[in-house]
Amino acid sequence: MNFEMDLNEEQIERYSRHILLQDVGLEGQIKINESKVLLIGAGGLGAPIAMYLAAAGVGTIGLVDADNVDLSNLQRQIIHFTEDIGVPKVDSSEKKIKSINPDVSVVKIKEFADAQNIREMIRGWDFVIDGTDTFGIKFLVNDACVLEKKPFSHGGILRFAGQTMTVLPNTSACYRCVFLKPPPANAVPTCSQAGVLGAIAGMLGTIQAAEALKFITEVGDLLTDRLLSFDAKTMKFREVAFSKNPECGVCGENASIKELEDIVAPVCDLK
Amino acid sequence: MKFYEIPENLTQEIDLFDQQIGEYQEGKMDQVKFKGVRVAHGIYEQRKPKTHMVRIRCASGGVTPEQLRKVSQLAQKYGSGEVHVTTRQEMQLHYVDLENVITVYEELISVGLSPRGGGGNTVRNVLASYDSGVSRDEVFDVSPYAVALTSRMISEKDSWNLPRKFKIAFSNNDTDTSRAAVTCLGFIAKERDGQLGFKVYCAGGQGSKPLLGQVLFDFVTEDKVYAISKAIKIMFDKYGNRRQRSKAKLKFLWDKLGKDDFLKKFHEEYKEYENRKELNLVLEPILNSSEVKKNHEAIKVEGEEFDLWKKRYTKPQKQEGLYMIEVPLNLGDIEGPDGEKIADELENFGSNILRFSVDQNFHIRNIPEMYLGNIYKLVDSITSLSKDPKMFAPMIACTGADTCKLGICLPRGVTPQIQDILRKSDLDLDALSDVKIHISGCPNTCGCHHVADLGFFGKVMRKGKDMMPGYNILAGAISDEGQTRFAIKVDEVAAKDLPLFVKTFLGRYLEKKHKYQYFHEYIDAEGQDDIHAVCDQFRELPTKDENEKYYFDWGSKDSFSLLKGQKAECSAGMFDMIDVDLKIVKEEVAHFESESEKEAKTQALYRLIFSSSRMLLVTRGIEAKTDEEIFDNFIQHFIRTDLVEEKFTSIVLVAKEKKMDELLDRYEEVLDLSQAVKALHKSMDDSLRFLDKEGNILGQSYNAKKEESVAQKDTGSKADQFKDLRGVGCPINFVKVKITMASMKKGETLLIWLDDGSPVENVPRSVSQEGHAVLSLDKEDDHWAVLIQKA
Repeated sequence: MNFEMDLNEEQIERYSRHILLQDVGLEGQIKINESKVLLIGAGGLGAPIAMYLAAAGVGTIGLVDADNVDLSNLQRQIIHFTEDIGVPKVDSSEKKIKSINPDVSVVKIKEFADAQNIREMIRGWDFVIDGTDTFGIKFLVNDACVLEKKPFSHGGILRFAGQTMTVLPNTSACYRCVFLKPPPANAVPTCSQAGVLGAIAGMLGTIQAAEALKFITEVGDLLTDRLLSFDAKTMKFREVAFSKNPECGVCGENASIKELEDIVAPVCDLK
Repeated sequence: MKFYEIPENLTQEIDLFDQQIGEYQEGKMDQVKFKGVRVAHGIYEQRKPKTHMVRIRCASGGVTPEQLRKVSQLAQKYGSGEVHVTTRQEMQLHYVDLENVITVYEELISVGLSPRGGGGNTVRNVLASYDSGVSRDEVFDVSPYAVALTSRMISEKDSWNLPRKFKIAFSNNDTDTSRAAVTCLGFIAKERDGQLGFKVYCAGGQGSKPLLGQVLFDFVTEDKVYAISKAIKIMFDKYGNRRQRSKAKLKFLWDKLGKDDFLKKFHEEYKEYENRKELNLVLEPILNSSEVKKNHEAIKVEGEEFDLWKKRYTKPQKQEGLYMIEVPLNLGDIEGPDGEKIADELENFGSNILRFSVDQNFHIRNIPEMYLGNIYKLVDSITSLSKDPKMFAPMIACTGADTCKLGICLPRGVTPQIQDILRKSDLDLDALSDVKIHISGCPNTCGCHHVADLGFFGKVMRKGKDMMPGYNILAGAISDEGQTRFAIKVDEVAAKDLPLFVKTFLGRYLEKKHKYQYFHEYIDAEGQDDIHAVCDQFRELPTKDENEKYYFDWGSKDSFSLLKGQKAECSAGMFDMIDVDLKIVKEEVAHFESESEKEAKTQALYRLIFSSSRMLLVTRGIEAKTDEEIFDNFIQHFIRTDLVEEKFTSIVLVAKEKKMDELLDRYEEVLDLSQAVKALHKSMDDSLRFLDKEGNILGQSYNAKKEESVAQKDTGSKADQFKDLRGVGCPINFVKVKITMASMKKGETLLIWLDDGSPVENVPRSVSQEGHAVLSLDKEDDHWAVLIQKA
């Protein structure tokens, strides 16, 4: 295989800082260039993730989001600019991605993920990143990825805190293994009541982006069977180890979830 | 009208170039890297320090009066004052200061001209026959293809970083006036079953190893021009030899792959583009008609001179009532004010009015007959050459050793001498207008000697120990599709005798011309014999004492030298010097055998030792002056290094000490020595290294500096891969190393060349840190050679 033919001079320069990494090198960069990553949600988490993956040269980035950019998004969703208000988030994101790196192909899915469309939606991608903001959808993404055997990164933020884990279905613990089921309605504050420090989205999103790149390049140890959480107020990071839960409803020994259904959950209006 | 579209991204590129010039001037960018940058922008450094030549693209040789005016003004304001027309239908400005380069660039762009790709490993100017669109003998007008292809190619990024230059040409009929059959990619207009198309040649080229183009398509319809060009470009990019510059041209790729593989690889690329109609060139027909401005007054000229001029230099076009006019230039030069004058007058006739030709002249077209007087007046005011017979117009001479580092001789010095002797002769020069004379200063064909009727290229000749300038004589090239061939090398003559040779030989030709239709037929039948016969008159060369003039080149005040003040860059001159001694060795062996006199035999043996010892010294950069120096150097550089057996030391010392009595008794040793040196010469490769039967390099066992560099090249030849990373900064140099190593197998070796300073301080360390082995690290002239083994 002649690698030199795979990258042109400009790309070699663009990706030189990756190529220089011993663990990545040209081979790793080519893997990145050939990879396909789906982001569910182009909001607070999706923004930094999409931008870093674009910069890294991920070959195809998929964006799932049905919303338009709103003024209140701009405090943390850094891929959207003031002039984008009212524009579909997928379009606004695509513009920035292309501007960062014209090599990247963008697949826009202007829909909300739900039980009916999500399994179809995530097929054909190498890695899925959960950038959604409600518990119900997070379980839906988890279950769909497990059923479709799709590796993914879970992430969630609230106020000053964030948590994330990476799931390799049937190999490592899934989100449901840890949290079992969505909390009852009203048990957690809605996001708009709670609020979130904008930079938290960046802190967590970039961890998720790094996990995606590690997965693609097969470098290092993924954040599997561990839940990483942090509180920015004290700036303390905590890691809790888990293992696959035999009782898990979707990947356990007697898993009952074979089909997906929408879970009624607190609707978050903090998009 | 425009002869190509400037791509939008060029403005950004110029900004970048401007910045790079700044970095270079501030010392932030080294010279080597900057060279790579500027050459691809058509900017070449000249021998005069800090001055540059700017080469301006003129697709199909076309330029508008407005553009010519601008270039002429720039020449006067920022350059040497003159516009130079090249053999590839371009314009050049000379001696532009670096700080003015960007200004010149921007001014050029303001009139739709660009120097991008004027040089370097890029898609170069696209040629078209100078008379395309107006010739009565053409199949169809090919210039719209050259124009559209140029616009397309210069907007494609992959046109700027090819293994070597990529030249494309279009000819409008079989006379192939743009030399499409001897270029990288050539299209010759054809019609088949009512369809317009091309015969397509590729992988041809001139240069020191000229090759005729290979037929890529016998006939292909005209809509495939882009697909073919693109496919060849991609293929060249993928498979061209980037490692060895001298083997990088497309013509060598054909050699390397062989016909079948070349065609297979071509078709792999071609099929991707063949049927993509949306990529077809957007052709804009170029209208040839009279567009004389109202009220432009026709000047009436009468008389013999005018009629003679009209007969020699004007030709009716296929457009009824319109004429094309050839304007001969002195070696391609247009004085700046003349350029403006030309523009002013020609502007009255429209914008599609001018073409440069590959013989460095220009051609005016679309002139109604009644205005020929105006053109005559114009031409008369800028050149006296148009009063000469037409044979002077197509004479080509390269710049030669005065500005070119490779040159051996000075063609620009001898050319006026030839013209002068012919002008003063009583030969019927109008009858000689079919003889195109081209002269190059060295074996590189900048003077296009391979496509000449009568061609010359510089060489070194010797009389005894002294060198003098001389020329190889070639003759009989054919430029006719299907029969195209290069000129045949026939004989040689001292530079001093060249003008007289030309006159005498052409005199002979005129006597016999009536028997032949073409000059090349004469050359094939008896011309070569005539050349030998005329050369015989000049065979006996005077020694320096007898006639010093032979040891000065025309137009030079210094006595002739090849190695003067610089490294022997011209390997061609080197091979000439070796040839001289090879010939002497052969002759002296014959002398020794045929002579009966003891004294003559002894002399022959001495000269044998002398020439055997001297023959290969030049490969080690040694120019020994005296006999003693020659023998000493031979012993030091050839015997002590085991290139030649130790046993010969004694016989060489006999010669050195002039013990002539001993020679005859030991004649066998002398003959063996000459055999040994001849065998060594035979084992020499193009890089002047000597190889044994297994291909190993011989003679590295001693410690002279020269040998070190040979030894390092040796490592290069044994390494599995090679990368020249000179001029590549940190960390991209290491990036490139990693990329190359990615495709290598474990244990394979890579030789890299790195610049001094931070590259050599960082890259080898980084390589080690990744676990690979750095086998050697050697300083070589201005750079470092590092041998790496993949872990």
